[in-house]
Amino acid sequence: MTFILRNMWRRKARTFLTIFGIVVGIFALTVLGGMTARMNQQINGMKGFITDKITVQPATAGSHMGMDIGGGKFLELSKKAEIEKVPGVKGASGMIMVQLKAAEGMSQPQLMIGYQPVAGASMFNNAKLSSGRELKPGDAGKVLLGSTLATDLGAKVGQPVTLLGKQFEVVGIMDTTLGVTDSWAFVPYQDTLGIFLAQNPYFKAEGLTQQITVFPKPGVNIETLSSKIQSSVAGIKTTSPKQAEKMISNITTIFSAIILGIAFIALFVGGLSVINTMIMSVSERRREIGLKKAIGATTGTILREYLGEALMIGLVAGACGMLLGLLAIAGLNRATHASNVVIFTVTATVIIGPVIFATILAGLAGLFPALRAARLNPVDALKEE
Amino acid sequence: MSIVTTSGLTKVYTVGETTINAVDGLDLAIEKGEFLSIMGPSGSGKTTLLHLLGCLDVPTSGTVSIDGKETGELKPTALAAIRREKIGFIFQEFNLLPVLSAVENVELPLRYQKVKPAERRRRALEALAKVGLSERANNKPGQLSGGEAQRVAIARALVTEPALVLADEPTGELDTTNTIRIMDLLRELNEQLDLTVAIVTHDPMVAERTRRVISIRDGKIESDKAA
Repeated sequence: MTFILRNMWRRKARTFLTIFGIVVGIFALTVLGGMTARMNQQINGMKGFITDKITVQPATAGSHMGMDIGGGKFLELSKKAEIEKVPGVKGASGMIMVQLKAAEGMSQPQLMIGYQPVAGASMFNNAKLSSGRELKPGDAGKVLLGSTLATDLGAKVGQPVTLLGKQFEVVGIMDTTLGVTDSWAFVPYQDTLGIFLAQNPYFKAEGLTQQITVFPKPGVNIETLSSKIQSSVAGIKTTSPKQAEKMISNITTIFSAIILGIAFIALFVGGLSVINTMIMSVSERRREIGLKKAIGATTGTILREYLGEALMIGLVAGACGMLLGLLAIAGLNRATHASNVVIFTVTATVIIGPVIFATILAGLAGLFPALRAARLNPVDALKEE
Repeated sequence: MSIVTTSGLTKVYTVGETTINAVDGLDLAIEKGEFLSIMGPSGSGKTTLLHLLGCLDVPTSGTVSIDGKETGELKPTALAAIRREKIGFIFQEFNLLPVLSAVENVELPLRYQKVKPAERRRRALEALAKVGLSERANNKPGQLSGGEAQRVAIARALVTEPALVLADEPTGELDTTNTIRIMDLLRELNEQLDLTVAIVTHDPMVAERTRRVISIRDGKIESDKAA
């Protein structure tokens, strides 16, 4: 270790530049890793909302895995009754959405989601409530709040809150999911429909829904049921949990591909710079290698010494790049905190991943120069001027 | 008892179409406690012989035995072990590592012998005391004079208590005063510690301070006599 650190210190400028080259790549990797972690968190936060039930939307709606609720198209609420007649369906819930507050920059919009609670079925099977209860059939003028929205409103269970000019009694507050639902308010369908129609007077229909959520009876194969609903009811499009999972994984794959791309750039630039530095170090220290071999160092000893130097460059660069990345993440998160936006999330992978990556990268890049050093013939090496 | 014996020791180099017999069928025995020099003009094969005796190079034919052990068939790791345990090297350019202090340079062979740090430090300081450099233990090589640097290199060579110390032109970089000092030091160590020392040199002043002088020309022993 003494050797490694002192040898690195011998050519300060060169070591610094090599480390700096890797730091840039690792910095980018950390920041994008934080962004991807946040995306995954949001998507996973949504999962409980869509993965144990079938989502039904107008046949003309775009492909959006039910996240944007209806895609601007509407179904007649009568479709809900049709769907409920399909064997295997426990119950269905019509859903309508109005905006509480528009998205600012990268923030999530605050939404009011009106739905029809189904007895014995939870709309949020994975999400826990931090206090209170979910909505139940027959509720009116009640609201279940996402955690962020509840904090914003300073809401407490049992107390009233005013949303879009209408007063609701808070019956429950959800645990933080880190997903988009944290800034949503869930209220009974009829309450939302009233607000929606007041905002959009040109809609004459009384029974509108943007999306219908279908709950299967226990023991019913949900995928089969999804196809059955699709073929039995006209003018709709169903999304089964499996299809929703697939769409989710498609999104995460895109982000993973971006991260992988950045990693490869870091790999290429950082790797080349480590190879260059280590080759230079070996060339400069040929006599020393000869001397060490003369006084008894084995091939393995020299290999470990030079590989250790490369690994140390990677470790230092990885740690610096990661710390700078975390600093940038903290700064950006702080800057967007006021508008209730979190763009980055720091997970263990975001912290440890880039450091391990940089260390392994430098180790691999240093392997060839280290092998060259270790295999030097001591007589030839000692002759070097 | 012979510390080193060679039999028909030959090293042939091929450069293009020319073959050079750097060492040519050499038979030699060095006894324990000897203080000898190997003399010869440039290109006579004396340094090649030193490399063969020190297990740094392998012969084309013939054998070298160190402390009773034949080295011809040994793998690089085993040769490294012989260098580590049995041989101490002193070079013309001192070859001290610039990033290490004097005492750390002396510790280096013990490090490769996996001696524990405290014991390593004690023995290195002891070796530096033997060459009269205790007060320079923490100086880096760049802060030492040529004579001092070579004394550190000598301490490094004897710290492992080797069976044989091989010195390649150890005074080549030094002025006359320092040459005499170094030779006196080597002789003292030879007498006090019963250290076997073989010095390769082309300097008659160095050779005349040893007790046996082997002259080499064209890879063969020209003469071998007591000084």
